[in-house]
Amino acid sequence: MPSTTRHDPAPSPSLSAVGRALPPHYASQEQLIAALRDLWATKHFNLERLEDLHRNVQVGGRHLALPLEQYPALATFQQRNDAWIRVATELSEGVARQALERAGLTPRDVDHVFFVTVTGIATPSVDARLVNRMGFRDDVKRTPIFGLGCVAGAAGLARASDYLRAFPKQTALLIATELCSLTLQREDLSIPNIIASGLFGDGAACVVLRGAEARATGPRVVGSRSVFYPDTERVMGWDVVDTGFKVVLSAKVPQLVKEHIRGNVDGFLAEHGLTRKDVKHWVAHTGGPKVLEGFESALELEPGALERSWKSLKQVGNLSSASVLFVLGETLEEAGAQPGDWGVVMAMGPGFCAEMVLVRW
Amino acid sequence: MADIVMEAVAEIRRIVQEELEFEGVVEPTHDLLRDLHLDSLGLTVLAVGLENRFRVLLSEEDAQGVHTVEDLARLVAARVAAAKPDVGAHP
Repeated sequence: MPSTTRHDPAPSPSLSAVGRALPPHYASQEQLIAALRDLWATKHFNLERLEDLHRNVQVGGRHLALPLEQYPALATFQQRNDAWIRVATELSEGVARQALERAGLTPRDVDHVFFVTVTGIATPSVDARLVNRMGFRDDVKRTPIFGLGCVAGAAGLARASDYLRAFPKQTALLIATELCSLTLQREDLSIPNIIASGLFGDGAACVVLRGAEARATGPRVVGSRSVFYPDTERVMGWDVVDTGFKVVLSAKVPQLVKEHIRGNVDGFLAEHGLTRKDVKHWVAHTGGPKVLEGFESALELEPGALERSWKSLKQVGNLSSASVLFVLGETLEEAGAQPGDWGVVMAMGPGFCAEMVLVRW
Repeated sequence: MADIVMEAVAEIRRIVQEELEFEGVVEPTHDLLRDLHLDSLGLTVLAVGLENRFRVLLSEEDAQGVHTVEDLARLVAARVAAAKPDVGAHP
């Protein structure tokens, strides 16, 4: 059942601020193609086809955790994951400080930190390292979530909101940090990996959520809905191999969007007495061109409804869980939303599954 | 040419079963979309695999009229023959 319905009296938490951060190292898509071309040539005959695959994802370039020239030296899982821990911790701290400042809060105001990622592992988790670095209280609660992949931005919003319905005076942070470039398996010259290396980028986002009794400004999270698609485990994910995370990626992702998202969204909205026509702001995960086209056609969206998602995809690529939060941040700051406007945040990820979050300004 | 067709069928079978994780038999008469359930990514994986194995280029224009495993194998054989025009002329 959904987290709330129109009849549920549970008070709605608010989205107070969204921070966004990208690593300083940027490479255009053509620079990345040039850097990968020699590697591709060790196995593949038709390099133009592979270059076209990289260009077809419509990404102009990516921000990278490290300077481009440092990647070939990362041969082992340990080397890649050590770099991930270092950069992910720095980027997460920066984006958390930015979001808290925008909300007019300090680390000591935070009661619960949700940290989501799928691109590296650490124990103690990155959120624990942030407690030391940023000075969170020693009673701060932490929920590190690994493995939800691209859906974790929307699912993280939903889980943090669930928590704040139980503790309406409290404040939660959702931090999504993804360094997809550090998962790249150079020796994996499969087509799914080559497509992934053209699509995914690095970045971090942080959302400050506040319980209803904190009386904060910002749109309210009215409800959420998780959807699991049975027997789709090989559609997307990782095969964990000796050298790290080897991508599993199927072309069924856009097909699943086209087949299911309309019924999923309509059912979710109906629980709240709404239809698609009532939704003014669509905040969609930037899965890729075919995924965004799938959202647009299945939901019969007006032209330009996903403009922020398309722009984000073209500028920085698919940032996995952080992507939808980047688009959410842009929407909060630029959409000119009016009190009473409805918005839907939606993402999909490994499982295969979807998460929808209903927001009201 | 017939040998190349058979080699191409065997390579298509290998790619579909090993790389695309298709569980089932792959016959020359099978339709790539209807019987083997290949999607756009699967077709790309198949084309790249054949290009690498036979050192030929396959274009979208080439794919017009290709429906079955045998159609694709014959296309590959034709490209191989075109790339080596002297083969057969000087045995």
